[in-house]
Amino acid sequence: MKWMIFSPEIYYLLASLWFLARSMIPHPKPGRNYFSALFLAAAGVVVCLITVKSEGILFFNAYQVNLFSQVFKVLLSLGLFLVICLCSNLTGVRKKHHPEFYLLLIVCTLAMMMLVSSVHLLAIYVSLELSSYCLYILVALRRGQDMGIEAGIKYFLIGITASAVMLFGLALLYGTTQATYVSDMARVLPGVIDKPAVIIGLLLTLNGFFFKLAVFPFHFWAPDVYQGAANQVTAYIATASKVAAIALLIRMVALTGSGAAGNYLAHVLVALSIVSMTVGNLAAIVQKDIKRLLAYSTVAHAGYVLIGILSMSQAGYSGVIFYALALLMMKFTAFLVVVKVADGDRNLQIDQLAGLHQRSPLLALALMVSIFSLAGIPPTIGFTGKLFVFLAAMEQGYFTLVLIAMFNVVISLYYYLLVLKAAYLQEPDGALPELQLSPQVKVLTGALIIAMVGVGIFPTYILEVAEAAARFLV
Amino acid sequence: MKMEFASFPYLSCILLSCVIGLLIILLLPEKRKQEIKWISAIFSGSTLVLALYLFFAYDKSTGGLQFVEKILWVKSMGITYFNAADGFNLPNLLLTGIVFFTGVLTMWEMQTRVKEFYALYFLLVTGVFGLFMSMDLFFIFVWYDVSLFPMYLLIVVWGTTRKEYAAMKLTLYLLAGSALILPAIVYLFVKSGLNTFDIVSLMQPGTFTAGQQKFAFILLFLGFGILAAVWPFHTWSPIGHVAAPHAVSMVHAGVLMKIGAFGVLRVAIFLCPQGWQYWSQLMAFLAAIGIVYGALAGLRQTDLKYVIGYSSVSHMGIVGLGLSTVSVDGLNGAVFQMFAHGVMTALFFSSVGYIYDRTHTKAIAELGGLSKIMPVASTYFIVAAMASMGIPCLASFWGELVVFISAFKVYPIRGAMAILALVISALFMLRVVQKTFYGPKNEQYAQLPDVPFGLGVPRMILVAVLVFFGLYPSLLFDMIETASIPFINGLP
Repeated sequence: MKWMIFSPEIYYLLASLWFLARSMIPHPKPGRNYFSALFLAAAGVVVCLITVKSEGILFFNAYQVNLFSQVFKVLLSLGLFLVICLCSNLTGVRKKHHPEFYLLLIVCTLAMMMLVSSVHLLAIYVSLELSSYCLYILVALRRGQDMGIEAGIKYFLIGITASAVMLFGLALLYGTTQATYVSDMARVLPGVIDKPAVIIGLLLTLNGFFFKLAVFPFHFWAPDVYQGAANQVTAYIATASKVAAIALLIRMVALTGSGAAGNYLAHVLVALSIVSMTVGNLAAIVQKDIKRLLAYSTVAHAGYVLIGILSMSQAGYSGVIFYALALLMMKFTAFLVVVKVADGDRNLQIDQLAGLHQRSPLLALALMVSIFSLAGIPPTIGFTGKLFVFLAAMEQGYFTLVLIAMFNVVISLYYYLLVLKAAYLQEPDGALPELQLSPQVKVLTGALIIAMVGVGIFPTYILEVAEAAARFLV
Repeated sequence: MKMEFASFPYLSCILLSCVIGLLIILLLPEKRKQEIKWISAIFSGSTLVLALYLFFAYDKSTGGLQFVEKILWVKSMGITYFNAADGFNLPNLLLTGIVFFTGVLTMWEMQTRVKEFYALYFLLVTGVFGLFMSMDLFFIFVWYDVSLFPMYLLIVVWGTTRKEYAAMKLTLYLLAGSALILPAIVYLFVKSGLNTFDIVSLMQPGTFTAGQQKFAFILLFLGFGILAAVWPFHTWSPIGHVAAPHAVSMVHAGVLMKIGAFGVLRVAIFLCPQGWQYWSQLMAFLAAIGIVYGALAGLRQTDLKYVIGYSSVSHMGIVGLGLSTVSVDGLNGAVFQMFAHGVMTALFFSSVGYIYDRTHTKAIAELGGLSKIMPVASTYFIVAAMASMGIPCLASFWGELVVFISAFKVYPIRGAMAILALVISALFMLRVVQKTFYGPKNEQYAQLPDVPFGLGVPRMILVAVLVFFGLYPSLLFDMIETASIPFINGLP
């Protein structure tokens, strides 16, 4: 029975084996891959939901299952499911590579699930690398264009550099605390946090996650990779992989405990947060390609996430968990629109959204809601998430930081509104046909819109779950 | 969920009728324009009826908060859905109902993208109603933003003159306001230590220290003040008025700017009375400059809507001046002026709307002699212009009079400046009326029809309201006093 708590991971392992087997079939029937992936991912969400309450420890205490990890597993499985929903017309990847595509997606999700449960430095490192390598290949899988290869190599090079730095940080941490278990470290760290070696070690370790989250100065890969990868892969990087990075950042920062001990770290995080927000938002203003724009907006959002994390309080962590869900939903909705409008494997320019309100009012509405949510305007989930994060930061006395963040919101609104203007005001050069959406996509889009507004207005339940999950950290 | 209702939830019904109207409009197909307009008229009319009912059902002898509705929303954060009516917000609710309903009727002739227009328009007004009735800081902020973001699309899609620039400028200015408001609200929430967003609990004396009040007040005043077009943050307002479609200009100048002034009153002044007293000199100073500046800028305008836009800046300055006096009369006059100015500008934009839809120009020089071509349409504009000049028997007279008397007592120089500005504003209004409606008529427009009865209805309602409260101001003053006297007496 002990292994029951490991069932989500086992499930995804089996699912990946299924696609491993399919990838060996010489001439697979097209379409079947998609439906089996969709089914498996949907069932995966159910499996994660069923095991959400389970608790326990596995593998010589290196693997901890509790509400914190399980909530993130649900988010990850949800992210995978949503991204696979977008793959009905997967022209960005060669047909014969489709089984590998799904295989890598599922393995990557599996690795991230292990990542959020790992409480041993080596386990963390190994699962992080596993998920990263899957992503490197997924980015490079894009068909036909050299851009995919270039993006893949760029991602890979920056990624391994970040991992190398992170390894060095782990070594420093081990050297100073003599601990490899996160729980041991949590006991030792607050006492020795004043030592320079510990702070440097911790920061270098965090770099690995900063890279994943695209925090300044590790954000340079984001625009190129977002642009170069197939739209679906970009959607996955922008949603699921960010969720995992947020989980690990919370876990590592929570190690230092609250109060004065974490002060040095908090100062660094404040600086990174401010620079990330500002750089991301300012750079996004000049973007013409919508995926690049979303990449820079991700950098800005990484800054907002850090605000919650650097509060180092339970309210901050629960706010960030809530925000992770918000990011997942709003980013995904934006990518849903991109994938559907790009129709196949184009990179979409902002101008190409012209006339969207006529071509598909539903998608235009979805774009509007997701954009207002990204900009943090009530009554959407993006606003509510930001409010929780800001409240937590204010409780710790970061008034100026909140003010700067709010002015960043105003800056970001400028480019978000330009996207909206393209969709609602600009007329296309030639007459474009109406966008035909399948009923399933319509239902999905409608559900996302309702969810973004609904959770924004009634955050109570989700917030309670997030608070319960954050309680396992402190 | 814990709920408390003092009576039948009339206030929520106002919001509900907006939301239900919005949903029905969304579900109707775009082609059925006439049905969409009728639905809009019915649901906006029902909000007006509800607002009227509340206005007269409010028990002035007891005063205080009535029709209280409380639903615990997020327990751990202390967020409550808390609506109530008092002497300050009832006039504004009534004003919103009037402007909303007449706005729908004013746009009766519109044919482009009708469904989206009314959907966004309903969303906008939902936010406005919500803000006026809410007594919870969290919801006030939510409603504030809900009433702002539809503006961008409303202006950029249906607007005229430099609409893209105007829409972007307006949205960014107002969002910059919210960037000051949210940190201030969160600051107050954290500093109170009460874990509640409920204004009634937070406004108990002693909740905040004087220093905290001074700090939060200035943020809130500037944040909400941007929306109330406080000089020097007013530049978005004339441009926005000019670019917006008529009904949106009506709501925008008539009601949305009142949200700003009301926010200063409800949030900044209620929660930080010591900050209010501390900063009142600055408020009076900015308000006086706004009054004079708006009047002077109005003198030089060549576009009808710009004239109204700058006169709004000037009139909102009068509201600000009233708020800055820290006295019962000042508050009474300010709230009365909010109401009167709202109705007056709505009438202005409504009548300009009719003229513009026929002549397709707002340039004063191109019009001329309109009173010979469309006497009825001209009458509506001239009534609004007279109200703007502060002629007795029209509602604005009372608001301005009371504000000036109270301001003169506290700030003699600034009060005198403001009264002088009134003369200038009379001058520019007369100039506009003379050039647009009298003098030689422009033959190009000689064949245009006058306002038919159906389209005249919204304008007639507005004129009637102006005259009614011009002759019977005590109805409104008695209402406002039920809130302002206890509030001023309760000040430390």
